[in-house]
Amino acid sequence: MTSLDLSTDRPARRHSLSLSIGLALVGLNVVVAILTLFWTPYDPLNASGGRLEAPSWLHWVGTDRLGRDYLTQIMIGARTALIVGTGAVAIGASIGVTLGILAAFATRLLDDVMAATLDILIAFPTLLLAMLVVAASDSASLWSAILALGLAISAIVARLTRILAKRVLRQDYIIASRTSGTSWLGVVAWHVLPNIWPTLSVNFALQFGLAVIAEASLSYLGLGAPPPNASWGRLLQEAQGTVYTAPVGSIAPGIALVALVIGMNLFADGLRDVGDPTRRRSR
Amino acid sequence: MLRPSDKRKPTIFAYILRRFAILILSLLIAAVVLFVLLRLLPGDPANALLSVGADQQQIEAAREQVGSNLPLWEQFLRFVGNLARFDLGTSFVSGKPVVEEIAARLTVTVPLALLGFALAIAIAVPLGILSAVKANRWYGAAISTVSQLGIAIPVFWVGILLVTVFAVNLRLFPSGGYPRRGWQNEGQVLYALALPVLTIGLVMAASLIRYIRSATQDVLGSDYLRTARALGASFSQALIRHGIRNGAVPIVSILGIELATTLLGAVVVERVFALPGLGSMLLLAIEQRDYPNVQGVLFISTLLVLLIGFAADLFQRLIDPRLRERATGAAT
Amino acid sequence: MTGNTIDLGELSRLSRKGRRSILASAALAMLSTSTAALAQDANFDPDASVVIGSLYEPQNLDNTAGAGQGINEAFNGNVYEALFTLTDAGDVTPGLVAEQTISEDGLTYTFKLRPNVTFHSGDPLTAQDVKHSIERVVAPDSKSSRKKSLATISGIETPDDQTVVVKLSARSISLPYNLSYVWIVNDAAKDLNAGEDGTGPYRLDEWRRGSSLALSRNDKYWGTAPTNGEVVFQYFTDATALNNALLTGAVDVITSVQSPDSIAQFKDNPDFTVTAGQSTTKELLAFNDRVEPFNNVKVRKAIARAIDDKKLLQSIWGEYGTLIGSFVPPTDPWYVDLTGVDAYDVESAKALLKEAGFADGFSFKLDTPNYDPHPIVAQFLQSELAKVGIKVEINVITANEWYTKVYKAHDFQATLQEHVNHRDIVFYGNPDFYWGYNNPDVVDLIKESEAAANTDAQTAKLTEANRIIAEDAASNWLYLYPQIVVSSSAVTGYPVNGLNSQFFAYNIKKSGN
Repeated sequence: MTSLDLSTDRPARRHSLSLSIGLALVGLNVVVAILTLFWTPYDPLNASGGRLEAPSWLHWVGTDRLGRDYLTQIMIGARTALIVGTGAVAIGASIGVTLGILAAFATRLLDDVMAATLDILIAFPTLLLAMLVVAASDSASLWSAILALGLAISAIVARLTRILAKRVLRQDYIIASRTSGTSWLGVVAWHVLPNIWPTLSVNFALQFGLAVIAEASLSYLGLGAPPPNASWGRLLQEAQGTVYTAPVGSIAPGIALVALVIGMNLFADGLRDVGDPTRRRSR
Repeated sequence: MLRPSDKRKPTIFAYILRRFAILILSLLIAAVVLFVLLRLLPGDPANALLSVGADQQQIEAAREQVGSNLPLWEQFLRFVGNLARFDLGTSFVSGKPVVEEIAARLTVTVPLALLGFALAIAIAVPLGILSAVKANRWYGAAISTVSQLGIAIPVFWVGILLVTVFAVNLRLFPSGGYPRRGWQNEGQVLYALALPVLTIGLVMAASLIRYIRSATQDVLGSDYLRTARALGASFSQALIRHGIRNGAVPIVSILGIELATTLLGAVVVERVFALPGLGSMLLLAIEQRDYPNVQGVLFISTLLVLLIGFAADLFQRLIDPRLRERATGAAT
Repeated sequence: MTGNTIDLGELSRLSRKGRRSILASAALAMLSTSTAALAQDANFDPDASVVIGSLYEPQNLDNTAGAGQGINEAFNGNVYEALFTLTDAGDVTPGLVAEQTISEDGLTYTFKLRPNVTFHSGDPLTAQDVKHSIERVVAPDSKSSRKKSLATISGIETPDDQTVVVKLSARSISLPYNLSYVWIVNDAAKDLNAGEDGTGPYRLDEWRRGSSLALSRNDKYWGTAPTNGEVVFQYFTDATALNNALLTGAVDVITSVQSPDSIAQFKDNPDFTVTAGQSTTKELLAFNDRVEPFNNVKVRKAIARAIDDKKLLQSIWGEYGTLIGSFVPPTDPWYVDLTGVDAYDVESAKALLKEAGFADGFSFKLDTPNYDPHPIVAQFLQSELAKVGIKVEINVITANEWYTKVYKAHDFQATLQEHVNHRDIVFYGNPDFYWGYNNPDVVDLIKESEAAANTDAQTAKLTEANRIIAEDAASNWLYLYPQIVVSSSAVTGYPVNGLNSQFFAYNIKKSGN
């Protein structure tokens, strides 16, 4: 099997930079998301502004078709994005890691079957899988989108976990510890998980960004978070018809989205570099 | 008794056979999963044929027409039976054979994906290598930064921005649509596909650059390259003679996944540019609950994905001596 | 296959996106004529290929085999003709009928067919074909929704090849109008889904699913030849992509524009012509009048008063569109201005709610179709109703689910839907309709109106029904859509009202370059 460590390597002197820029961007998003729980510039239902107002002191990013404050929507969108990313990764991680570990311990035949199944699932693009799950749920909701993305992520995580775990299980000391009577659960808890965690967590951070993008695409196709959950994807989709009269609506949510995803990716890069001493040494 | 060199051929053959068996098995599993998944969808496909004003009698008749009044097991038997004959059925909505429509749609999606893929490689390989080799120069860093940006942008947004700039403002390319006569007029098709291909190419190149950069770095840090240089080869000679072959190995499997993703992930791009491809067929079919069409598209997609994976795997084994031996070992 | 199918007919249908079909009044009298229509008549290209951009791709080619809107747009009047034609101006004029005689009691219609009409296959049009075509729709095993409107037909006779006699069991004042929907097809044609055999000025050239449908001129047409050589309907799923296509010259005309913001790009540009026609499409907040709390007239009236329709219309359509006080558009003869009934008044809305026992408001689930403009309208209602203490829970559903849940199962509290039908006030006379409005007076009035001896009597009955449903706030009629057609200025002569989703292409002229 080829290396699944889908990484970019960065020169050592930029390690801290990646991490800090990433942390700053993600942190800003988290702060804004938490802030919206207590305060937003306007009530999200307040439609007192004019139709598609240009940015002004009253409405920093202008207003939407109903006269609602755009900044408020984008800020709430930050919360939605965090929920989507975190939720999808949480679901993907719990299912994926469990399956991956089981597969790693499985017998030859079962392992083959699982590997083949995972290959099929991975080959299926996240978006298609998500489309089906969203379409299958009774009515569009944020949770069906999250569940869908989580399932898609779980296949990727499971495959990665399986490969990493098998690599660990081949180590001499594990074999020794198993023959000396440690239960397999013990092996997982004391040896496998701690060993594979650094690589997995980097992958989770990357998947987070992908989930946020996928949710935006689902929203663009009309299958994402329904109103009133302001989501950046839906804001972009709604603003598409007004791109010439009110271009800011087609740009601002996109910038917010790109900032969060870049932040998460940089964070992942930084995390990998920090968490992987061999790589750091090799530079 | 076979000498080792004789031994390799039959085992590679055995490997292919084994892979092929897995492929068929996967396809069967996929078919069953698809059927079950689709039956979980709420909504009656008969609705696609009805309108506001239909009465109970009409509703029943529509259900009969699409077969949604049959018990599930009977629907399933029909489905599997047809599949065995490679008959994907007829659309509930249009009444046309599914295979026929898929074939027509593939003439859009396959060229779109392949051209986008080729463009992505053409952009990503030189830039990826450059950014690894010249990581310390400003342009090396710039390439990484731009690719970092590229993977963070949703593809539909790229598409919309490209349309706004190149179609609406500069009038260089059409904003969408597909020539009616299709490939009978290659020039028109290529013109219509220009922006969609650019969209896919740019987005995919952004992520490919990362992989290629990473693979190049691995090669740069490898022992054989140092050895080659120590033996007097120039840097570029060493890179070309040893680097490409070794660096290509992990890239090929990534490319396989990426190509499959592009092929199926063209949904969004097809939507932005109003292209009559497989993705827009699926989207429409899901909305209409046109089960035969949904099943057909997903089944063919799965088949394509599996075939691509199969090809990538095989190719990888052919270019990498280490893997070739491992395959031999695994199969014996 | 044809025998087992469903006609969507005059009723609004749920196309794949549940989109609107545009149906307009047969009585539309006055229409603004496109000023540009006169401009370029002199130097048009008689063989031009005209590209029409549309959002409504047909699902199949037989309008009795399923969804009708897209196929009606492309085929009505272009490929297939009917005994009568509903013109873009809203008049019902003779089509394939040369002469009609109506008996004294109004129960026997005798139609003389136009002579020398041939189908595209070369077969001549005979009375048998007409009988076959009508029976396709009204036969006992037919599932056509048109069946209902033609239910009074008790027999069809063909005394000779050129004469059709239609007998009715009761007076039906709308018979000619209803027959304008019935395609006259060759009775020898086998599978109308695989091809066509009509009498119209165009033949079907090619249909590329998901993309386009091309019609080419029928050189053996019995009537006036089309002023162009070929018509291509180019289909889009996204309104923005459609606008861009017009903007970049990929299409010549858009059959109906869906947002005011795109109009801005075309309006003051000499390269384009923007024409406002008459619409019959109404945006509706439909309550389930059977269930708490909407079985209470006071609650329905309170909600009507709590919503600022004017602001909503302005938000969605800018300066376009019309406010309506009931289900009837101003172009119908039975229109009366009812916008004053339950006009916007938050204080009286609160008072009514209090009287109804909901002083503290309540909350309800609003089933919202997932396509424009419903989600944005739902959000507007959410903010408006919050002001009177009513909490709106938006539940976004697909068109397909809307059909199952709301339309068939009546399992909803309130929903949003656009109703595009002409004369669809008759739905309020059907207590089994999805919104469950049941007022015996209205049921009777609507029944009597169809049996009326003349249009004055019909108009009087329907006007009365119209007033009653408004007073009952049977539903909440939010606004009437505008009907806007935009074209390149090189193209003239297209229909501006798009009545009944029809888009007659034969008069379109495109100037040669």
